[in-house]
Amino acid sequence: MLIFGERINGMFTDIGEALRNKDPKPLQYWATKQEEGGAHYLDVNSGPAIPTEERVAAYEWMVNVIQEVSELPLVLDSTNYNAIEAGLKVCKRPAIINSCPAEQVKIERVFPMAVEYNAGIIGLTMDKKGIPKDAENRVAFAMELVAAADEYGIPMEDLFIDPLILPVNVAQEHAPEVLESLRQVKMLANPAPRTVLGLSNVSQKSPDRNLINRTYMAMAIASGLDAAIMDANDDDLVDVAATCQILLNRSIYADSYLKVFRSR
Amino acid sequence: MALTGLEIYKQLPKKNCGECGVPTCLAFAMALASGKASLDTCPYVTAEAREALDSAAAPPIKAIKFGKDSVLGDETVLFRHDKTFYHPTTLLINVSDTLSDDELNAKIQEIKGLEFERVGLQYSIEGVAVVNESGDAARFAKVAATVAAAVDKSLLLLSSDPAALKAALEPLAARKPLIGAATADNYEAIVNLAKENSVPVILKADGLNALEELVVKATALGYKEFVLDPGSRTPVQTLANLTHIRRLAIKKKFRPFGYPVIAFTSNTEPMEEIMEATVYVAKYASAVVLKTSVKAHVLPLMTIRQNIYTDPQKPIQVEAILHSVGNVNENSPLYVTTNFSLTYYSVEGEVETSKIPSYILAIDTDGTSVLTAYAAGKFEPEKIAAAMEASGIADKVKHRNVIIPGYVAVISGKLTEVSGWKTLVGPRESSGIVSFSKSL
Repeated sequence: MLIFGERINGMFTDIGEALRNKDPKPLQYWATKQEEGGAHYLDVNSGPAIPTEERVAAYEWMVNVIQEVSELPLVLDSTNYNAIEAGLKVCKRPAIINSCPAEQVKIERVFPMAVEYNAGIIGLTMDKKGIPKDAENRVAFAMELVAAADEYGIPMEDLFIDPLILPVNVAQEHAPEVLESLRQVKMLANPAPRTVLGLSNVSQKSPDRNLINRTYMAMAIASGLDAAIMDANDDDLVDVAATCQILLNRSIYADSYLKVFRSR
Repeated sequence: MALTGLEIYKQLPKKNCGECGVPTCLAFAMALASGKASLDTCPYVTAEAREALDSAAAPPIKAIKFGKDSVLGDETVLFRHDKTFYHPTTLLINVSDTLSDDELNAKIQEIKGLEFERVGLQYSIEGVAVVNESGDAARFAKVAATVAAAVDKSLLLLSSDPAALKAALEPLAARKPLIGAATADNYEAIVNLAKENSVPVILKADGLNALEELVVKATALGYKEFVLDPGSRTPVQTLANLTHIRRLAIKKKFRPFGYPVIAFTSNTEPMEEIMEATVYVAKYASAVVLKTSVKAHVLPLMTIRQNIYTDPQKPIQVEAILHSVGNVNENSPLYVTTNFSLTYYSVEGEVETSKIPSYILAIDTDGTSVLTAYAAGKFEPEKIAAAMEASGIADKVKHRNVIIPGYVAVISGKLTEVSGWKTLVGPRESSGIVSFSKSL
């Protein structure tokens, strides 16, 4: 189970301000802190904090300042592919592009870029028309992304299918469909593509967010989830991820398994 | 294993004509993968695609049977702990037709002697590989006939000369020998000979690319009873080839390599030959041809084969009999434990360390540990008493004391009652046996 730390995002006030002031300290603080929490990758998102025309330069700067303090590989999170490309150019370790929907135009932009920079891709099971409600259509979009990866010669292990979880308080019927999608995506190819969720979405504007997050994560991991963009400093949540590794026989059990999980 | 959507999609015509009732080939592939559509509704799918999709559903490695109950192949994993290895490597002894009649008889006698009984298990060699090195077809046929008449084992007939192979095979066809080796030069004659006689055939080529090519050509003759020989004769190269072939067959469903593999040892020094054969047994060879037939060389190889092909999900058991440690005498103490090997050997090791010659009675608990067996009602006083009686321990010792594991102290009263022996409660852990034994 891979943890993609979500905290370096311009939607958070401290990161937004840091981006505007070119102050590396909050980014570096969260890079280190998320790594300590158990993150395996760091998601990097400028958010709307800075004007569109400055985003390309911003991504290059963000990647550089984070890499000054952390060895973790990065997940470059933007809808601006030029910004992502600027980030990829300065990444020291293979990164992951977040994200590409199942639209031919975007596939043609993103997949060759992933090949060029040896990057992974998060593929969203949606197109211009939006997010499908049922598992069947999510999986059909996933299949298009899988076929594209095969066509461009991208290893299935580098394709992360995101079946797009929505907040349970307003889109409750999506949650079981996403679990079913996770199960079916694993049967699309051999080896199977990997899977990812923007986990915190499930609990948007609900009380007891942490409880909802970790319960849904355990269910999703059992259904085939390989990675989550999530709060790497929610200790209870990371404990659940570690425990799932043990219960699914993915890591060899030791009494100190919680500690072992965080140390690698 | 069901096919993945991607595998199916790659075999479809990609016309997106919609004639199957599904808008795109990709969506049709998905429908096929989930069993919601039939391939027959696509009018443009080719015969090759249909064949590829049919064969992809078959097991990854074909089972090849020959001789006397020899089964090669039909394996599904790369590591035994993932499930188990099913069909133990068939071991064959190389017999050259250049041997004189006297040497041949001596070799046959030695092969006949390769039967062992060890820790309650029977080991025996499965087969003989008669090899045409003389270049003389009549001699090859005669040696094959002599071997076949003398030993009731699986036969492998090896010659590069189709005429020699035919002469040796035809009188022995009822024994269903494995024959070989078909190479790029002679494969048509030899594969057809195998096909006419319904026997499996070895396909031999130099390296994996050449082997793939040969398998494809041989399959075109309408026959599929193959055993592969990637031609390598050094341990390093053979290990690499065995690994690639098994991995491609299972992980990539690469059909040309979906057959068992035979390995030939190259070392002439028997100790080194056995080490080499050990590597092949551990790493996916379905058959190994050995030069040595000396008992002392073959026994360790058979033992390791038996160990490697044990099902790891099933507990390993020791014989449920009365064991003795050291030079036992009429005063030796009697310990009782279960036949789970981990439990038994823990006890045996400690008893040995105590330096007091002792008896250990292993109760048949289906290979479960003391507490597991006790909880499942498999380690009860009546059963222990019956096993004591059956073991004849009463005639071997003059005392009437039996030592039980400390964790089942609760059965001591009942055991005393039903066996008539005094029950001593030993330590809970076997590590306490050494000090316990001094108090006896």
